[in-house]
Amino acid sequence: MTRFQLILLGLCVLTLITFLWSIMAGAVPISSKVVLNTLFHFDGPKQDYIINRSRLPRSLLALMTGGSLALSGAIIQALLRNPLASPKIIGINSGAALAVLLATLLLPNLSYQWVPFIATLGGFIAVALVYVMAELRPVSPARLALIGVAVGFACDAGVDFILVTADTYVVSSPLVWLTGSLWARGWTHVSQVAPFLLPMSVIALFMMHQLDLIRLGAAQASSLGQHVRSTRLILLAIATFLAAVSVSAVGVLGFVGLMAPHIARRLVGGEHSKLLPVAMLVGALLVLAGDAAGRALAPPLEISAGIFTALFGAPFFIFIMLTNKSEETT
Amino acid sequence: MSISLQNIVAGYDDFQLKTVSTEISEGSFTALIGPNGCGKSTLFKAISGQLKPREGTIAIGGSDIASMRTRAVAKRISVLPQHPVVPPGVRVEQLVGYGRAPYQNMLGIQTSKDQDIIQAALETVSMIDRRHQLVSDLSGGQRQRVFIAMCLAQDTPYVLFDEPTSFLDIRHQYEVLDLMAKLNDDGKTIVAVLHDIAQAARYASGLIVMNNGGIHTAGAPSDIVEHSMIHDVYGIRTLIYPDPVTGTASVSPLNTCSNSQETLSEMV
Repeated sequence: MTRFQLILLGLCVLTLITFLWSIMAGAVPISSKVVLNTLFHFDGPKQDYIINRSRLPRSLLALMTGGSLALSGAIIQALLRNPLASPKIIGINSGAALAVLLATLLLPNLSYQWVPFIATLGGFIAVALVYVMAELRPVSPARLALIGVAVGFACDAGVDFILVTADTYVVSSPLVWLTGSLWARGWTHVSQVAPFLLPMSVIALFMMHQLDLIRLGAAQASSLGQHVRSTRLILLAIATFLAAVSVSAVGVLGFVGLMAPHIARRLVGGEHSKLLPVAMLVGALLVLAGDAAGRALAPPLEISAGIFTALFGAPFFIFIMLTNKSEETT
Repeated sequence: MSISLQNIVAGYDDFQLKTVSTEISEGSFTALIGPNGCGKSTLFKAISGQLKPREGTIAIGGSDIASMRTRAVAKRISVLPQHPVVPPGVRVEQLVGYGRAPYQNMLGIQTSKDQDIIQAALETVSMIDRRHQLVSDLSGGQRQRVFIAMCLAQDTPYVLFDEPTSFLDIRHQYEVLDLMAKLNDDGKTIVAVLHDIAQAARYASGLIVMNNGGIHTAGAPSDIVEHSMIHDVYGIRTLIYPDPVTGTASVSPLNTCSNSQETLSEMV
């Protein structure tokens, strides 16, 4: 068994265990036996309502969005050739957040099912703006990142403005969403984002070799026969889609997109055929664990997964950065 | 199969090549030389397909590059950029394997033929023992050899080098130049941007001297490297003498300041 297969297997086992824990943990603790009885329809005591209506969809959503955000981050890090890059850096998260807040304010009767579309639209508008502005001169990764940061700040300013000026009651629910929370997420959310995230993740995995090539820079990739311009656009669209749809369901879980690819690179190296699947698993695991921990720590109080992912992830991330001897910025 | 450039106008908003026409014949080792900002890099980018000429045609073996697919060009011309990007966490063997991309499908799955070619390329540049190391852990000279191996894995009749020796110490400079000469002996056509005129004269079979965005002179080093040409192009006075080791032209600047006229007349 190769190191890669071993790590993949280890992560799968870890994810399964965390998944079980995530269903057990919360305001009403449920034993693992009851969880298994309920999930697999064994005889014995069950907890149908809490598990099937609340914790199962929520955990599935954590897996999907965590994996998607990590994939999006890995793609954007390769495109921008920058270790600091994440979906947030090209304005996806902020654009999606601003769009959802604006929609909540302007269309108070909007039904929830439109939120993913609005978030995705917001993310796409922000990235399109960034790309078009970066295109005014020959696209360079650095310019793409700098314009992305600027557009992100502008959107964040809009978000802050709305939060400060609008009626507290109106923005209280978006506020929880903004910190990145899976609170009160159910099957509706799962069924809304799964048809987008699952196929898009598969497409992202198929781009592994193209990511290897574009990571070498536009000149080298093109001399290796890649259509850099169209590949870059496709990758950008995939990354935007994955991140924006995830943000629409679980809010701004910004740190996962930065952290998961780095952890994966440390585990299996920089080749995307290994990096992408491992990053996806690490991202899924982080959000799942963050959400479960947020529920388990001080029930019935819930702490947002976004807060916990960052809280858990940051020390680990710093440790990795400090022990990594050669992180190159170009 | 040769590369021929006809009436090329290429460049950017602030810098344009003058109309350039030249021929790079099959099996040659051509060095592009000239002062900073003379247009060598622009011409290099045009030949390597990174910069689309605004006018004129570049043809490989008779067919126009502009009408060829990127992948088809990649099977004929490989390029060593001036500053190759070293991706983090990628091993020597993997990086060299990227050179097979023009022959692979979208997923880049290697066949046993691909693997044989990769091994052979690693052997040619003497990096086979380091194939499992991270590229980012290697020294400058070793990295350069790995990127040359990537060009070799691309298996192209033309290999283009953009200032391959600029950031290397003297030993690694000559290691790379010897490697280029070896590839040339093996039948590959080499085009290289070089700064050192003596190195260019020593290794190249033909020079293209550029100045002010156009070709100043082109020809065999023994015919064209002389102090009047160097003065015209670089604006410095030099003494040209045969290198004691190789007999090819060597260049020593005389007093480089503007009042060096007398020194020159004393010596020549």
